[in-house]
Amino acid sequence: MYVYSELDQQLIDERVEQYRDQTQRFLAGQIPDEEFRILRLQNGLYIQTHAPMLRVAINYGLLSSAQLRALAKVSRDYDKNYAHFTTRQNIQFNWPALEAVPDILADLAKVQMHAIQTSGSCIRSVTSDHFAGIAAGEIEDPRPWSEIIRQWAALHPEFAYLPRKFKIAVTACEQDRAATQVHDIGVRLVRNEAGETGFEVLVGGGLGRTPMIGKQIRAFLPQHDLLSYLEAILRVYNLLGRRDNKYKARIKILVDAMGADAFRDKVEAEWLQIRDSELKLPQAEIDRVKGFFQPPAYQADAASDTSYADRLASDRDFAVWIERNSFEHKVPGYRAVTLAIKGLLKAPGDVTDVQMDAVADLADRYNFGEIRSTHEQNLVFAHVNQADLYPLWQALVELDLARPVIGTINDMIACPGLDFCSLANAETLSVARQVQTKFDDLDYLYDLGEIKLRMSGCINACAHHHVGHIGILGVDKKGESYYQFTLGGSSNADASLGKVLGKSIPLDQVADTLATILDVFVEIRNEGERFIDTVRRVGNQPFKERVYAPAH
Amino acid sequence: MPLLINQQPVSDDRWIRITDAEQLDQHGDDADLLVDWSVYRDCFDALLARTGQLGVAIPNDIDVAELRPLQTQFAVIAVDFPSFADGRAFSQARLLRRQGFSGQIRALGDVTWDRLRFMHRCGIDAMEIAQDRYSAEMTAAFSEIGVCNQGGVDDPNPIYRQQGV
Repeated sequence: MYVYSELDQQLIDERVEQYRDQTQRFLAGQIPDEEFRILRLQNGLYIQTHAPMLRVAINYGLLSSAQLRALAKVSRDYDKNYAHFTTRQNIQFNWPALEAVPDILADLAKVQMHAIQTSGSCIRSVTSDHFAGIAAGEIEDPRPWSEIIRQWAALHPEFAYLPRKFKIAVTACEQDRAATQVHDIGVRLVRNEAGETGFEVLVGGGLGRTPMIGKQIRAFLPQHDLLSYLEAILRVYNLLGRRDNKYKARIKILVDAMGADAFRDKVEAEWLQIRDSELKLPQAEIDRVKGFFQPPAYQADAASDTSYADRLASDRDFAVWIERNSFEHKVPGYRAVTLAIKGLLKAPGDVTDVQMDAVADLADRYNFGEIRSTHEQNLVFAHVNQADLYPLWQALVELDLARPVIGTINDMIACPGLDFCSLANAETLSVARQVQTKFDDLDYLYDLGEIKLRMSGCINACAHHHVGHIGILGVDKKGESYYQFTLGGSSNADASLGKVLGKSIPLDQVADTLATILDVFVEIRNEGERFIDTVRRVGNQPFKERVYAPAH
Repeated sequence: MPLLINQQPVSDDRWIRITDAEQLDQHGDDADLLVDWSVYRDCFDALLARTGQLGVAIPNDIDVAELRPLQTQFAVIAVDFPSFADGRAFSQARLLRRQGFSGQIRALGDVTWDRLRFMHRCGIDAMEIAQDRYSAEMTAAFSEIGVCNQGGVDDPNPIYRQQGV
């Protein structure tokens, strides 16, 4: 992974002291609330329902074991012994004291971590594919490009006060596990007809109140021009994006209002001015950053191990876990493993300090000291030798991180909802428990095939419910939590926005409604058809008829 | 109003702010006037006939390319930060420098400690600061962070092109 240079380290150390000074001036009454709000958000600090919430950046989801231990220590020293992995691969602490945040950040800076631009109307932390570097069919590793973008975005002097938040995702696989079509900018590594690697650039995707799929504004961007092109897009947005209404301030609204062609013309005109400037990436810099993402030292004879096949044949639970929670690695003899942070009756994405420390130890033992976070709120060990899979599984079972539910509705993504978030309209965590309790028969879940369930507690859509195969949106009706269902969304290569099923449903009927939807699916699906494909084939109507059928 | 120029406090600001054409008669022919963009557009013949220097204060929603043919008339172009959340003038300042404006670019409006460094990096060399937000210590803002990942007006080189990196 990327290792900070002296200057990278100096930057985050100085940022900590700058923020410490900002906090002190705020506490001394020298910065008004509204200004400090913007300053603290640019450094990841929200004021939530019960306490501040600090969001720490895990750039493109990549962590070292030392970093994970430092996060565990922060949760012990400053919080309530747990933390929450987010849908943008970051991590949140729900109970830090505002006065202690500079000290937390100083502790994290020692392991090259920070909270720079994890919130606020600025360029947010960059996300990428959690299987980067190991997936077959990948054009090249997207993480060096994510890192190059991160460095360009960090404390950018021109783009710290944008109309609204700005999210960039990078992918290099057709499957698009980074959801590039629902980001402000989606950067997709592609090859042109001459065989050169460059980028397809999408702009104006996003969820929230007005969900939209991003539009392609450039089919092929040469590698060396990445930063000048991003800068051109950001400059056009900074100048022309709406600032009169925060619900119309995202770049998707600007692109939609101007039309993608007119927007592209503006960007390309600006880009021509800066394309051949100092922003052009020198090959030496590209090579330097790529040097940090070389594959680890795989064992050449890993595939010759026979214990793995024996265990698969003899231990059904292990075999099920491998089938559900592991992913093919391009190197023979290795697999990637998903650690499900979807503990039974626990908040999706929540981990304890004990789990974090234990995972760090397991990463050192079995995964070259590396851990990845996913936008589906799980963790990944990307390089596990097949001979190590069985002992790793046993250890994960002990830690309650081996529930074989990846890709099922029990792998649901959920925001913290009304229990923690001051924006939320409805509970999510109790609904997650309700769903898990109702659907406790794993064989039934496996029979249903892949279903992505995503639940947001408000229209801001932190859990990306619009792109869930089944989306659930919490709404408030006279102080009661109600839930609106959408069907047919996807954030992958076949991205689409789910369509609303009908009127919202009371809290105590969410799991039953889900059961009805799944019953209909089981009745009408074709052999081997995924839920999303059935919905695309038949539409919402058959589901709607049954869910809203009069009781009899 | 306290004023910083080139990162230092200065006490003798000779510029007189004009927000309405009717104020023009109140000042001598040789006074240096910083006039609002709307006043400039209504009265530019009269303004250009004066002997004093001319500056213009632009709103943050105009395309600064409009100023390109005019900019040699101005010793100062003032850009506006109407609120702490609004960052359009950062881009305007950079574009003004790119199109060759070499006079003073002055920040007006919500100009406080925590945005001074970014203003400087975007080519703003003068900052007017409200009295109640001014402190002698605030010039520390320019040196809080000594690493520039991006090029700016002060140094066009991103970190990967800076000397010694």
